[in-house]
Amino acid sequence: MTVATTQQSGGGGGTSGLYDVLELVLDRGLVIDAFVRVSLVGIEILKIDVRVVVASVDTYLRFAEACNRLDLESGANKSPGLPEIVGDTMESGARGKTKGALSGAAQTISEAFSQARDEGESQSRPRQRRASSSRRKEEQE
Amino acid sequence: MSTYVYGIADADHPTLPEGMEGIGSPALKVRTVKGGGLAALVSDAPENLRPKRRDLLAHQNVLAEAGGGGTILPMRFGSVAHDDDAVASALEERATHYRERLEALSDRVEYNVKAQHDEDAVLHTVMAQNADVRALTESNRGSGGGTHEDKLRLGELVVKAVQAREVQDAELVRATLEPHADAVSAAPESSGWITNLSFLVNRATSERLLGAIEELRQAHPHLVFRVNGPLPPYSFVEPGPAAPAAD
Repeated sequence: MTVATTQQSGGGGGTSGLYDVLELVLDRGLVIDAFVRVSLVGIEILKIDVRVVVASVDTYLRFAEACNRLDLESGANKSPGLPEIVGDTMESGARGKTKGALSGAAQTISEAFSQARDEGESQSRPRQRRASSSRRKEEQE
Repeated sequence: MSTYVYGIADADHPTLPEGMEGIGSPALKVRTVKGGGLAALVSDAPENLRPKRRDLLAHQNVLAEAGGGGTILPMRFGSVAHDDDAVASALEERATHYRERLEALSDRVEYNVKAQHDEDAVLHTVMAQNADVRALTESNRGSGGGTHEDKLRLGELVVKAVQAREVQDAELVRATLEPHADAVSAAPESSGWITNLSFLVNRATSERLLGAIEELRQAHPHLVFRVNGPLPPYSFVEPGPAAPAAD
């Protein structure tokens, strides 16, 4: 449950954790008619995060370029990160055998979680940097 | 002075974080207002309250702290009552409703799951599954990148394939994870992820949802997940399972 504890504390996770739940804090949750709600002027940041592919000439050219550069020999399954996860899972699974099958399996799963989480973070961060740095600026204002 | 409200819990909630630092600068202390057998977590409301990062975090932290020890109905950020008495009467007026919700959400937490495509990986997938894309890429490469029109033609084909993949993967994620949750709430599509779903799960069995996400991640390397939880059940405070919060 690495995911759970890190996220729950919130403060340590800081901005990225907050950004990920921003729309929940601002758009969901209980509303009581008798209470006033603070004006949300200045948080259009909710809507500008368009990362889903949009059809436009710019996108066409960018994707054509990306296809040109793509190394056709290495398939999608060879994307970085995955082999290490599998490797680690097997390794700790083997370690588990000396301890008894059950605890070994439990450890394997929890290690796979935390490993995958770390992988996910380090993998996805660079891609998001552009978008999130502008976001952060807006949040700080 | 007006009163800022964080959330509503049963008056018997064992670990309401009274005295914790809430919103405002300097931080205002969290306290409770009771009524109708319920307790509202509140603090004074700062002057000129705006959705600043610090205050959003404080709101979230107070709820996370309270949610750790028992069920709490989270308020949307920025709810301000005229004074403590107004909070108490709101609790009394709708006590039955809030109790029902607290009961329904007992031991339940929200996990928010966002998925997006890893661009290189999804291009690989599209290329592998679409002979036209492959052929066009090869021919463009053969002619040193191709003409402007060639590039547009390839790009358009790829974008269509990727968009189809977005829809397909969004359905895959939902169909795979839904059986592990009591309820699902989808965020509006405009928010920029191929899918953005909140799942209501029993705290004790949340590992199942996390395990299913992990399996998806491993089986589909072109999917990148952002998982946040356990969170207070923001998306499930209103009755009606699976119903998204009204706009």
